Amino acid sequence: MSGAVSALDVRSVSKSYGATVALQDVSIELQPGEVHALLGENGAGKSTLVKILSGVVKPDVGAMRMGGEPYGPHSIVDARRRGVATAFQELSLVPNLTVAQNLSLPRQPKGSLGLVSGAATQKHGAAVLERFGLRLSPNAMVAGLTLAERQRLEITRAFACDPRVLILDEPTAALAETDWLFRLVRQATAAGAAVLYISHRLHEVRELCQRATVLRNGRSIGTVGLEDATDHTIFEMMVGRSQAEEMQHRTAAAQSTRPAVLQAQGLAGDSFKNISFTLREGEILGVAGLEGQGQRALFRALVGLAPLASGSVKVDGALVRLSGPDVALKTGRGIAFLPEERKTEGIFPALATASNIVLPVIGRVGRAGFVSERLEREAAAESSSQVDLNSRYLDFRIGDLSGGNQQKALLARAMQTGAKILLLYDPTRGVDVGTKQSIYAAIRSFAESGGSVLLYSSELPELVHLADRCLVVYGGRIFAEMPGGDINERTLVAALTGHSMQETAA
Amino acid sequence: MSANADAAAASAPGSNLSLAFRRGLTDGAGVVAILYVILFTLYALWDRSALTVSGVTNLSNNAAPLAIAAAGESLVVISKGFDLSVAGVVSLSNVLMASYPVEGPGGALVSLLICLGVGGAIGVVNGVLVAILRLQSIAATLGTMIMGQGLALVIMDAPGGTVADWVSYTLTDVLFGVMPISGLIVLAVVGLWLLFRHTDACTGLFAVGADETAASLSGISVVSARFTAFVGAGLLYGLAGFMLSVQTATGNPTAGTPFLMLTFAAVALGGVSLTGGRGSLVGAIIGAATLMLLQKVLFSGGVSSFYTGIFQGVVMVLAIVFGSLVSRLAATGARA
Amino acid sequence: MTSARPSAAVQPPADTRRTGRIRSETISTAAIFALAIILILASRFVSPALGSWDQVDTIITLASFLIVVAFGQGLVILVGGLDLSIASMITLGGVLATTWNGSFGPEWVLIPAVLLICACIGALNAVGVIWLAIPPFIMTMASGIIVASAALGYTSGTPRGASPDAFLALMKGSVGPISAVLIFVVIFVLLAWALQSATAFGRRLYAVGANREAARIAGVATWRPIMAAYAISAACAGFAGMMLVGYANGATLRMGDSYLLPSIASVVIGGSSILGGRGSFAATVGGAILLTTLGTVISALGMDQGWRTVIEGAIIVGALLLLREDLIARLRNRSAR
Repeated sequence: MSGAVSALDVRSVSKSYGATVALQDVSIELQPGEVHALLGENGAGKSTLVKILSGVVKPDVGAMRMGGEPYGPHSIVDARRRGVATAFQELSLVPNLTVAQNLSLPRQPKGSLGLVSGAATQKHGAAVLERFGLRLSPNAMVAGLTLAERQRLEITRAFACDPRVLILDEPTAALAETDWLFRLVRQATAAGAAVLYISHRLHEVRELCQRATVLRNGRSIGTVGLEDATDHTIFEMMVGRSQAEEMQHRTAAAQSTRPAVLQAQGLAGDSFKNISFTLREGEILGVAGLEGQGQRALFRALVGLAPLASGSVKVDGALVRLSGPDVALKTGRGIAFLPEERKTEGIFPALATASNIVLPVIGRVGRAGFVSERLEREAAAESSSQVDLNSRYLDFRIGDLSGGNQQKALLARAMQTGAKILLLYDPTRGVDVGTKQSIYAAIRSFAESGGSVLLYSSELPELVHLADRCLVVYGGRIFAEMPGGDINERTLVAALTGHSMQETAA
Repeated sequence: MSANADAAAASAPGSNLSLAFRRGLTDGAGVVAILYVILFTLYALWDRSALTVSGVTNLSNNAAPLAIAAAGESLVVISKGFDLSVAGVVSLSNVLMASYPVEGPGGALVSLLICLGVGGAIGVVNGVLVAILRLQSIAATLGTMIMGQGLALVIMDAPGGTVADWVSYTLTDVLFGVMPISGLIVLAVVGLWLLFRHTDACTGLFAVGADETAASLSGISVVSARFTAFVGAGLLYGLAGFMLSVQTATGNPTAGTPFLMLTFAAVALGGVSLTGGRGSLVGAIIGAATLMLLQKVLFSGGVSSFYTGIFQGVVMVLAIVFGSLVSRLAATGARA
Repeated sequence: MTSARPSAAVQPPADTRRTGRIRSETISTAAIFALAIILILASRFVSPALGSWDQVDTIITLASFLIVVAFGQGLVILVGGLDLSIASMITLGGVLATTWNGSFGPEWVLIPAVLLICACIGALNAVGVIWLAIPPFIMTMASGIIVASAALGYTSGTPRGASPDAFLALMKGSVGPISAVLIFVVIFVLLAWALQSATAFGRRLYAVGANREAARIAGVATWRPIMAAYAISAACAGFAGMMLVGYANGATLRMGDSYLLPSIASVVIGGSSILGGRGSFAATVGGAILLTTLGTVISALGMDQGWRTVIEGAIIVGALLLLREDLIARLRNRSAR
C-alpha cells in the first residue's frame, strides 16, 4: 500500500473548547479501499475527530489532505461535496420530516415551477431505499421509526452520496445483526472508497477492518494492523499500560454472609428482561456491558426514573416501589444515583460546587431553612474530602471546574445524602487518570465502611480492579455472572460480545 | 429482526391516505376547524344575518388582522421561538397609516409598502438579535416590541387621525358582490404559505424547530432558517397592521397591545406546537378566526362580558389539552 | 450515548485560579444600580428639582409596586416559567380588598384572605403547567383572562369601596422624616432577597430552574418549588394591587396592565436568564428602579412618553447583549488570572 496516495491524511490536528483540550496532535491516515478502525474509550476524542473530518467544526491547528489535495471543509455540505459522508452516532435525522425528505436534505428535488416536488422527493427516496435494500416507506415519519430503522436510514444516507471517504460512528449500536452493513461496506471499499469505522465492538472491528488507530485522552497512541494485534494489546493502548499493570484485582472477603441490601427479582422494563441479582452490604457489584445493552434503563428503573414493567425490588428485605429518586433516597438505607451524563443530568453549572454537593439534603443544612454559602461549604467538607476534592473548589461555580472535578463533586453529592446504596453509572467517564484513582479510592472506602455499590463501567480494567462480583449484560439480559476470582479482562471481553466463558477458556 | 421486517405496515396500500389524514389531525388544524364549524353553526342559528354577504364580510373584516398576525407568529413558533414584536409592528403600522394617509389606490399601495417596510425592518432586527447574536427570542423580541410600541407613541401620543378613505371603504368591501376583499387577502396569505411549503426554506424552518442539531448536521443553515422566520413574520405583522387600520379607519398608538396575547392564543389554538417543529399557518389562521368568532357568538348570545373572558380562557386551555392529546394518540397510531 | 465529550488531557487553567469567582450577579447588580444612580445625578444638571432626596423618595414609592411584582415574576422565571397573569392578579387583589372592605371582617382577616385566594389561583397555574403540560405562556395568559373577566363581572364594571386602612397608612404615612413605603421596600427587598438566595427553598428553585431533570435525579420533588413560585407570584401581585389601592384610594379594573411587561423587563434587565436557573433579586430591584427612574426623569423633562418606551426597549436589548453569559465568563476569566 505504500506509495499510493492516501484517501485521507490527517496531520497533527488539535482542538480545544475553552480550557478543555479535546484533541492534541492527532494524526491518522486512510488508504483507498481500506476499512480503518478508530478505537478509544468514551471521552478519548473520537467524536471531536469525527466532527472535524465531517466539516462540523474547524481544528485549531493541523492540516488535512484528501487524495493529495488540501482538505478543509467549511460545513457539512462542503465536506459532502468533497466526497466525505458521515453516519453520526447521535443520529442526524430530522424527526418531523419523512424518510424521503431526510434522504434529500438539505436540498430537495424540484419540480416544474422551481418548487419542491413531493412526488420527486418520494421517487428519489424510494430509489435510494431500493438501492440499499431498506424496506421503509419513503413517506414514513422518522419520528415513528424504531431506533434500528433510524440507524439504518442514517447509514443509508451516508452511503447514498457515493463518498470517497465514509465515516461510520458506532453504526451497529442499535442493529441486531451486521450482515447488511458489512455488505455495503465491502461494496464501497471494492469501489475504492475508504471507510473510517468507529465501534466499541472489537469482534466486529476485527471482522471488517484492516488497521486500527487508538485514541486516548485526546491523543493518537498508535496505529496497528488488526491481524497481528491482540485484544490485550489494544486494550492496553486504550487504557494505558501503567494502569493495566498497577491495578490489582481486589481481594474480597467472603461476602455471602453479609445481609442483602438490594434484591432484584425478574425485573423487566424498556430494554431489559428478567434481571435478578442480590447486592450485599459492603459489596461492590460490577455491571459490564457494551453500549445499549439495557443497563442504562435498568439503573434508571432501579431509582424510579424509568418504568418497571414487571418484577420486584426489595430494599433491606422489604418490598418497595421506587417511584422517583426522592423516594429512593428515603427508602430503607437509602439509594443514591450517579447519572451517566454529568453535563445534562448532573450539575447545576451556575451554582457553587458546595451548593451542588449538598442540594439533596439542603433542608438539613443551616438553621430554620436559612442557608449560606459558608454553611454549605462546611456541610460539604466531609464528603468532598472523601472524594479527594480540593476544598478550594467548593466556592467555585461548578461549571468552571474540569470534568474530573465535577465528577468528584457529583460522587460527593451521592455520598452526602447518607444513602448506603450507591448506583454509579460509568462514574469515571471522560475523567483523567489521576481523578480516576481518587474516585476508585472513594468507592472502595465507601464499601469498606459498609456501603453497597452497584457499579456500571464501560472500562473493563476498572471492573477488574473494583468489583467483588460482576454481572455481564448482553441483549437486555444478564448474560453471565462472575465471582471475584474469575473477573479478568479476557473473560469479560468475551462475555461482552456474547461468547460464553467456556468458549474462551478453550 | 432483519431489514426485511422493517416497517412492513408502512408500505401497506392506502397508508398514504391515512397518513395524510392523520398528519392533518396531528397538525392540529383539524381540531380547530371543527371547533370553528360548530361555533359558526351556533352563531348562524342565533343570528340569521350571519349567512348573508354582509354578515360574512363583517366576520372576515373582523378576523383578518388577527389571522394574518397569527400567520406570521406561527412562522417563528414553528422554528421554535417566540415573537412578541407583533404588538409593536401593528401599533406602528396603524399609527403611520392614520398620521400619513395617502388617497387612492396608488396611495393604498404606498401605505402597504410602508407597513411592510416597518414590519420587515423590525423582523430584520429580530433576526440579527436572535439568529445571529443568539439572544433568547422571547427576551429580545420583548425589547423590540417595546421599542416599536414606543415609536408608535412618539408619532401619535393619543388615539386620533384618519386612515385614507379609499382604503377603509374599498378594502372592507366585497368583490363581485360576494367575496369580501379582506377574506381574499387572507386567502392570498394562505396561497403564499402553500407555495412556501414547497421550498427548502420551509423544510428548514420545520427541521430547525424540531431538532436544531440534527438539522445543522443535515446541512441546513440554522441562522438562515431563523432569520427567514423573523423577517417573514415581520412582513406579515405589517400586513396585519395595514388590515387593522383599514378596518378601524383610525389611529391608536396602542392598537397592537391586544394582539400580543391573542396572537399566541390563536397560534396555540390552531395546533401549532409551542415547542416547535409542528403546525400550519392555516391552523393559526383558523384559530384566530375562531377566537374572534367566539367573541361575536358570546356577544350576540347576550352573554355578559363577565363570561366572555372566562369562556375564552377556558376554551383556550381545553383546546390545547385536547389538541395535544389528539396529536399524541395519532402519533402512536402512526407507529403501529 | 456518548457525544463530543472533551477529556481533560491537560489540567485546565480554570481550576488553578487563585481567587474565587466573580459572580455574574454581582456584575449586573452593580451595573444596574450604577446606571440608575448616574441617571438620577445626571438629571440634576437638567433641573435642580430632579435628583433631590424628595425625588428619590418619590421614585422609590413609585417603584415599590414594580419591585413587589417583579419579585414574584422573578421567582417564576427562575424556575423556568413565565407569569402573564399578574396584571389580572393585581386587579383582583385591589378589587377584592376594596369591595370586601368592611363587610368581610376586620382587616387583619381580610388581607391574608385575599392573599390566600391569589396564591390559590397561582397554584392552579402551576397545576396546569406541571401536570397538564400546558405551556406557562398559555396557562397564565388564560388564567389572567379568566380572572380579569371575573373581576369585571363581579364589580359589574365599576369597582366600589375604599382602601383598607392598613394600606392607606403604608402608602401615605411616614415614620418621622422617612416615608413608610421606603421602610417597607427596604424590609421587603431584604426578606425577598433572603428567600431567594439564602434559603433551602431558594436553592431548590435555582436547581429546578437550571435543570429540572438533574434536580429530580438529585432528589428534589420538583413540583413543590414550582408550585410555590407561581403561588408566591400571584400573592405578590395581589399585594401590589392592594398597595396601589392604598396609593390611589380606590381600584380600577385595568390598573394592573401597566405592570406586566415592566415586571418581565425588570427581571431581564437585572441579568436573570429568561430560561431560568440564574439571576439575583438585587439586580432585578435595580432594574425596577432604573425603569421607574427613567419614566420619572422623562416626564419631568417634558419629553414624550413614547421616548420613555423606546428607551426602555433599548435598555432591554442592551442588557441582553451585554449580560450574555459568554461575555461575563470572559470578563471573569480575565480578571481572575
